[in-house]
Amino acid sequence: MNDRRDALVGVVILAALVVITLGTLWLQGVMVPGERVDVEAAFSDVGMIQPGAGVKFRGVQIGRIRTVEVDESGEFVRVVMRIDAEVRLPDDAVVVLSPESMFGDWQAEIQAPGRFSEARFTRIDEEGVLPGYALPDISELTAAADEISDNLASLTERVGIAFSEETAQNIASLVANVEEVTTRLADLVDQQAASFTEVTDGVQAAVDEIGGAASQAQRSFAGIDSLLVRGNVETSLMNLETISSNLAALTGELDDTNEDIRNLVLQVDSTFARVDRVMTEVEEGDGSLARLLRDPTLAGELEAAAAELTLLLEDIRENPRRYLRLSIF
Amino acid sequence: MSIVIRDLHKAFGTKEVLRGFSVEATEGETLVILGQSGSGKSVTLKHVVGLLEPDQGLVEVDGLEVSTLSREELYDLRRRAGYVFQFAALFDSLTVAENVGMGLRRMKDVGEEERRSRVEECLALVDLDGFGDRMPAELSGGQRKRAGIARAIATRPKYLLYDEPTTGLDPITRAVIDRLINRMKEELGVTGLVITHDMESAFRVADSIAMLYEGTCRFHGTVDEIRDTDDPVVRAFIEGRPELIEEAL
Amino acid sequence: MTRVLLAPFTLLGQGSVRLMSGLGSWGRLVGDSIRALRHLDVWVPLLVGQMRRVGADSVPIALFIAMFTGIVLALQASYTFTGAIPLYFVGVLVGKTMMLELGPVLTGLALSGRVGANISAELGTMRVTEQIDALETLAYPPLAYLVVPRVLAGIVMFPLVTALAIAVGITSGWLTSLALLDMTTHEFVRGLTLFFETFDVWFALIKATSFGFVVTSIGCYFGFHTRGGAEGVGRSTTRAVVVSSMVILVLDAFWAVTLL
Repeated sequence: MNDRRDALVGVVILAALVVITLGTLWLQGVMVPGERVDVEAAFSDVGMIQPGAGVKFRGVQIGRIRTVEVDESGEFVRVVMRIDAEVRLPDDAVVVLSPESMFGDWQAEIQAPGRFSEARFTRIDEEGVLPGYALPDISELTAAADEISDNLASLTERVGIAFSEETAQNIASLVANVEEVTTRLADLVDQQAASFTEVTDGVQAAVDEIGGAASQAQRSFAGIDSLLVRGNVETSLMNLETISSNLAALTGELDDTNEDIRNLVLQVDSTFARVDRVMTEVEEGDGSLARLLRDPTLAGELEAAAAELTLLLEDIRENPRRYLRLSIF
Repeated sequence: MSIVIRDLHKAFGTKEVLRGFSVEATEGETLVILGQSGSGKSVTLKHVVGLLEPDQGLVEVDGLEVSTLSREELYDLRRRAGYVFQFAALFDSLTVAENVGMGLRRMKDVGEEERRSRVEECLALVDLDGFGDRMPAELSGGQRKRAGIARAIATRPKYLLYDEPTTGLDPITRAVIDRLINRMKEELGVTGLVITHDMESAFRVADSIAMLYEGTCRFHGTVDEIRDTDDPVVRAFIEGRPELIEEAL
Repeated sequence: MTRVLLAPFTLLGQGSVRLMSGLGSWGRLVGDSIRALRHLDVWVPLLVGQMRRVGADSVPIALFIAMFTGIVLALQASYTFTGAIPLYFVGVLVGKTMMLELGPVLTGLALSGRVGANISAELGTMRVTEQIDALETLAYPPLAYLVVPRVLAGIVMFPLVTALAIAVGITSGWLTSLALLDMTTHEFVRGLTLFFETFDVWFALIKATSFGFVVTSIGCYFGFHTRGGAEGVGRSTTRAVVVSSMVILVLDAFWAVTLL
């Protein structure tokens, strides 16, 4: 009788120890069936990645971050990932750190290079250490959008003048297009990040401003008549062409992603095609428009706007996930 | 081989229970200490085994002053002194046999076998053969008391201290207990210290009797001497007539 | 008049003195018990029995409480999170709360009622029926015989029972999420592991250990200092439960301040 009662104590002790040990190991993500190997990667900066964060390959979780430590040299951060030994990584694999959700938890993604420009990766001269790159924060993007809308506003202010009937119509539909793009952008942001006002306030503001600039442009274009002095337009036009082709390339790439965004980008693309057409007309020297382009400040503004747009596009292209997966839940 | 209590003082808070109590029990005799309830009899007894420390005065057992003993020496002394508690104080969670064997477990020279046989022996001595596997709660008051005595004698002590051994028992059981006390003295040769307010019982077991009154020793003498004393306080107690004290005042 | 005015201060002073002397004599009990550890032959044979009474026998009540806590946590979390926060945060909340707070504290409180009251009533009864004196006269050091095995059993068993309770609480939270919240196992586990740190487990175990020590030693303290028959036993049992519950909550805050 007593022995059996004492055995109960033994059972409780054993059960508790097993629960503690296995539970901890499981929660640490250490205890997953199958063999594991450690893979190292180097980063110049690791964002908010922490030990325990997931490691993904082609979207599948294959392991967890073990350690994050600044290298002895102080020149890069060494991240050790423990992953499933059975996964064969590409020889030229790189590691990208990115936010997993808007709560500040980050993940590491092992992938083939190509989607990101080579320059961003931290490479060190050591066998078996993968190059790594941590995505910039969303606030940088918001700042870029802000600047674009500022430029657009001042551009339209200067334009505020006359075009031929047809050009005017073109521009009017362009502006309508810009407006629609803006609305759709706003909708997208609304719908995908409705609950995180703090985070999206910046984005929202930028979108609003773009919208404001667009309607201002529409007002200005309504009374088309006078022209501006012709300046150095060629470069601006070339920039715009680059933007258009960039957009075309981007839309191609985004084919397999979120439908909404693809449509959006398509629209952006056609918007800029119209811009392109307007510019062609301008270049062909339609009297009233030729003067518009003689304004040197306008050229500068155009150039700046084009540069900003290029940046934005590049960012969209490189980090489509940021735009596509604002809602990650 | 005696118990000497000299000028014992003990107070609890402001209440002075003992105020210079002195008495002596010589070897092999049974000394009965009489006294009213609350007169400090139990307190005196607890001083003998070091459960309480005197405020003043001393208690000597075997020539050792109890309050100066180290922990180990005190345990040694306690093994030589069996204590029979008023309500037996058997451990509820242990069987009667385990209770009786408790003291023996603490004696390293007593093996498992010997312990068992001595427990049997002690239970037989108090006429509780066959009760070893019972729990204390299953015993009657008299049986409990006898089990308490068996526990006290299991270590073969030289002294036995009885705290009101017959209180609350029926007359027959009281007689049985008294006979048991005498048997312990005769068969084991122990020095006994009995505190009681049961006069009948006192006369049956005592070699000498002391009376504790208002914290001091009012009377100390043989059974015959106490029967003949003129002290109104003692007489009042023996005869159960409190008015004698008032008359004397 | 002055006496009336001074009354609150007098009471405060008396209260403080009582508190301090209580604390002091508890400390002495603990200190003496530590010294009593050397009587290995006395307490070692009793340890397993006490581990059963303090720990094993407390498992059902602890698990019962943990199970319902897990269910309620999951439901309330999902209610709170509606719309704004993704549901997998239910896993985060259930896991973190069970481990850091409710597992140890609720188990501690439940066991202070069960174990603390039991110890204090048992020792109190032993005290008023002179069984503790009887131990002394049989040459048993009462602290080694009564206090040491109980407190050690508390220190060893509380964390173990708490670990089981945490596991059951999380499991019931998970099952609730599956059955009532339209969550998947994957979501729940994702939340559970999202912010998990090994320290959480240590924190829970450290807390539970301290609660085990507090509940058993306070139970022993009040049991040992019981006076006045059955009523006294009742009084010290109540005090043991009240005081150890309060100390558990204070300690809980203490650990949160010092370890988190």
